[in-house]
Amino acid sequence: MSLLRDVRAVRAGWRWGGVRPATWAAAAPGLPEPSTNLDWARQEPIRSLRWALQRGLAVPFARAVTGLHVEGADWLRDQERPVLLVSNHVSHADTVVLLAALPDRARERTVVGAAADYFYGRPWLGRVVSLWLNTFPFARHGGAQAVLHSSSQLLKSGWNLLIYPEGTRSLDGRMGEFLPGVGHLANETRSPVVPMHVRGTHRVMPKGRRFFMPAPVDVRIGRPLERRQGEGSRAFTRRVEDAVRDLGRGSDEPRVVGDWIERWRASAHPRRASAR
Amino acid sequence: MGRPGAVIEIDRNTPPVLFHYGEGVRLERLPLGSRVVYAPDPIEPVAHPERAIRRALAHPVEDDPLKALLRPDMRLTIAFDDLSLPLPPMAQPDVRQLVLEEVIEMAAEAGVEDVHLVAANSLHRRMTEDEIRHIVGDRIFSTFYPDHLYNHDAEDPEGNVLIGTTSRGEEVTLSKRAAESDLLVYVNLTFVPMDGGHKSLATGLGSYRSVRAHHTVDTLLHSRSYFHPPDSALHHSCIRQGQLIEDTVRCFHIETSVNNHSFPAIANFMQKRETDWTPADQAAFLAVKQLTDLAPADVKRAVFHSMRAPYGLTAVHAGQVDAVHDRILETVNRQMLVEVEGQTDIVTIGIPYLGPYNVNAIMNPVLVVCMGLGYLFNTYRGRPVVREGGVVILSHPCRNEFDSVQHPSYVDFYDEVLSDTLNPAEIETRYEKCFAEDPWYRQLYRRSHAYHGVHPFYAWYWAAHAMQHVGDVIVVGGERETVHHLGFKCATTLEDALEMAEQTVGRYPSVTHLRLPPLFVADVK
Amino acid sequence: MLALQYVRSVPAYAFVKATGGRADVATSELSMLHLGDVEEPELPGRAWVRVRPNLSGICGSDTSAITGHASLYLDPLTSYPFVPGHEVVGELEDGTRVVVEPALGCHVRGVEPECPRCAEGRPGLCENVTEGSIGVGLQTGYCASTGGGWGEVLVAHESQLHAVPAGLSDEAAVLVEPFACCIHAALRGAAGPDDVVVVLGAGTIGLLTVAAVRRFTPPKRLIAVAKHPAQREHARRLGADAVIGPDEVFQRIRFATQARRLDGPDRPLLLGGADMTFECTGTARGLNEAARFTRAGGRVVAVGMPGEEKVDWGPIWQRELTVMGAYAYGVEPGGRRTFDLALEAAPGLELERLTGPCFGLSEYRDAIAYALEAGRLSAVKVAFDLRDLRV
Repeated sequence: MSLLRDVRAVRAGWRWGGVRPATWAAAAPGLPEPSTNLDWARQEPIRSLRWALQRGLAVPFARAVTGLHVEGADWLRDQERPVLLVSNHVSHADTVVLLAALPDRARERTVVGAAADYFYGRPWLGRVVSLWLNTFPFARHGGAQAVLHSSSQLLKSGWNLLIYPEGTRSLDGRMGEFLPGVGHLANETRSPVVPMHVRGTHRVMPKGRRFFMPAPVDVRIGRPLERRQGEGSRAFTRRVEDAVRDLGRGSDEPRVVGDWIERWRASAHPRRASAR
Repeated sequence: MGRPGAVIEIDRNTPPVLFHYGEGVRLERLPLGSRVVYAPDPIEPVAHPERAIRRALAHPVEDDPLKALLRPDMRLTIAFDDLSLPLPPMAQPDVRQLVLEEVIEMAAEAGVEDVHLVAANSLHRRMTEDEIRHIVGDRIFSTFYPDHLYNHDAEDPEGNVLIGTTSRGEEVTLSKRAAESDLLVYVNLTFVPMDGGHKSLATGLGSYRSVRAHHTVDTLLHSRSYFHPPDSALHHSCIRQGQLIEDTVRCFHIETSVNNHSFPAIANFMQKRETDWTPADQAAFLAVKQLTDLAPADVKRAVFHSMRAPYGLTAVHAGQVDAVHDRILETVNRQMLVEVEGQTDIVTIGIPYLGPYNVNAIMNPVLVVCMGLGYLFNTYRGRPVVREGGVVILSHPCRNEFDSVQHPSYVDFYDEVLSDTLNPAEIETRYEKCFAEDPWYRQLYRRSHAYHGVHPFYAWYWAAHAMQHVGDVIVVGGERETVHHLGFKCATTLEDALEMAEQTVGRYPSVTHLRLPPLFVADVK
Repeated sequence: MLALQYVRSVPAYAFVKATGGRADVATSELSMLHLGDVEEPELPGRAWVRVRPNLSGICGSDTSAITGHASLYLDPLTSYPFVPGHEVVGELEDGTRVVVEPALGCHVRGVEPECPRCAEGRPGLCENVTEGSIGVGLQTGYCASTGGGWGEVLVAHESQLHAVPAGLSDEAAVLVEPFACCIHAALRGAAGPDDVVVVLGAGTIGLLTVAAVRRFTPPKRLIAVAKHPAQREHARRLGADAVIGPDEVFQRIRFATQARRLDGPDRPLLLGGADMTFECTGTARGLNEAARFTRAGGRVVAVGMPGEEKVDWGPIWQRELTVMGAYAYGVEPGGRRTFDLALEAAPGLELERLTGPCFGLSEYRDAIAYALEAGRLSAVKVAFDLRDLRV
């Protein structure tokens, strides 16, 4: 078989051991490596295994099935701090799709909050989603304090955190009210909040069904939001909710009427603009 | 860190060498004593690209700072290179995106209202929305597309004007919008020494009328080689045309160069020398080889064409065309030049899956010839690596498959023209006009995403110098009927090819393998 | 005499048709074709002579009849049982070599006055095929009274006989009849010197049409469509400018005529296209494609015998195409008989290269099977050799 022949050629061709000269340095990441001493799913070798599974299988598969169209990935380019990613929630396919939409470097350090009662109630399911999607248990009802603690710990350790503030999947496609935890979390960790909106997954994996079907999906990523001076958690949560809703409507700012210069100014990246 | 290019002689301990094989890879054992030429390691990129760009725009070479040239009531046109370079495409953000964003920011601050961005694709195909978005970035795309950001249409009778004739009688046309602008900014990516300089504007915004002045068999035969402009008749002609353009329109030229870090981390084994391969690289090679042997063609194509290269910006200069280009060429040559002692009897080249004219499409047989004998043969300065009358051995599956959307005129070129004659000069006199004027190809070029009707001719002429210089061409692993149709010989394995070559060059020939990509230019002494 | 005879049997016909016209069934005991001892045909009149066939070709119309694919339109125009075989080169009693012109028109039948078609010089279209001294039949080889080429003896009217020049071998002469059909088709088409002509199909009829068009109505460009490699060689030799495969018709013809091509849900079409197409396959695919790559206002000449085919008339109507049949031969405009033109043109064409292999009558089952697969087996005209029967 040609595989055996190739393996033999490779083994015979190289003498093992021996010092190999170093090669050039890869571009240094802007972000420090996230901590690995949290729990099993965040440690090696699971992290490398997950990298291979996501990069090699899950992401290409998700892209192929949904014909994924992403807008605004630029906002996550050159991240300097871990961010809190929030999105609307329509179907179980959302997580895979959102992860596939993220740029590679952002995805490698993103943890997803998954409903503890639903996913971690059954032990094997919890392990599977932890491995594939890098989830951690997120209690939906009661015990808010503990959840807040573990979430903020993850953020502080260098992980991006993806959560669904509606608390549950939408039944009718309309976005529900955001639970206030978002604001509290952002407050405590001072992380920017990146609004994301996913559309079309209700056709890929409808609520109540276990299978999935190919259908077109759009993901929009919006400008990161930071808590303003003196803004309360609830007010901030509402601002985030409006941002996600606006993304769904097709703009992260109210539509700018005017010439190109005004449109250009409106789309400026806040951090980069302030660096000028 | 950063070794220069090297020529390694094969001995008993040398690992086998990687050969590209279209959308596939092979490991081959070359005979003892063969030379393998490796590219220099990628140079360290600039630490802060945006700052470097801003500095270049504020302190241009032999010209005023860009800010000073911008006025609110002016007509500004910004042209940029299309996706035929770099290869593989650059990971986002593309260098052109960074430059364009700076330029647009300056234009916004100056309050310039009339701004058009034109992709200088000449007779290449129109780019799709996603491809344009990849080059300019989301921000520019959403602000300007589609009225103020578009592909150049070289066949628009209203959109192209004749601006003059050079001293040697070469006609020069330019996009009407560019010709009537108050300032024409060109954002260039000089990937190899062939790109950049006056050639960008002269061909990029030209039309068939101006391009045919120098894309002739005669001019290309006297271009020795394309990768060393001082010796290239093609570049001399472009320079004359570009100077005429400079005299007609106010130009501001911004050139960038990147290093040759052509493959992402996952495909490091393609970037590195075989002697540097770690066990991870070996495993990656085996995985890719299995994938390419077993996977169906579309899967392979999707995987290969989705590769994005982590290039780093190595230099950026702005200002007057010649001054800028000379400085950029210094950096590009520093990255690319490899000294090679003497010529050789046989040169072997593995043809990669991607060339400038088949981004997101299959490489058809005509493009295989263009890539192997046109581009890769000509990566030299001084003298070709292979001696006159020597043999070139290419490695490519060479299947009779064509992309019907991007290359419709290539299909007819292969079927009709090549069945009749293979001689470039004869092809030029008998067939070029009819393809260039065919209304169907014109329609497909203007409305669909097809290369111009005359493009396959240029692809074939590109190889004219090699065809004249070389004694024989053998394709390893190619489809027999297709290779014969192209006028070459076919071999199943490299050993057979070397034996066949001995018929032409004699026994105990010297063999050199050009281990590219990553690209380099051989400086042959 | 030993002869192959085609009998009219409804159950046999139904059986053969039900099995799709497979060669082994269509030539079996249960088919319409039988080899056996048959009464020699009688001379119907004084102007008739006996002819002993040397070589008799197997034509597409014969195999269609045997495999049940022929149009039922032809049934009333035939008398049963008949000995098939209308491509005949044979010998008279005095040893003269002749080819037989099979059409049984008014003159042959002794019917006075001649019908308008025979008066025009088109005996193949005779309106009196049911009258006269012989039975019903358009041609020798479909008539119970005359016998046919696939038997030891047949009878022919003296006006049906054409002397074969000494330099023309039997293998070449057996193709004179089909060549005459193709010459008649070429002259009916009347391509001009500025026309792009396509010949669709490269069996016997296709190849001889290429030769006829090249010789008698040379066009600006003659493109032959051939499926099998052996056919391509012949097409090139006989005068085609370009030979293309059946899957490339739209692309190559588009290029040759600089037309525009539109791709539809079922088949492509060309805006523009060839000026004239000779359809020599007799299949639905050929006719449908010809209607789409022949330019509007152009001409499609159906030369190959079609059966009942499903053809989309939309393109024919919208493109105002002229679709005409070309059948048989007779007297061409200019006053010369088609067979004379054929005999004149034949020597320069090396027609014997198209004939082969030849089978004895007793090997008829192999012969018919071979003829049905001729293209794939690198043959063009398969024929019966009856010279060995005469010892």
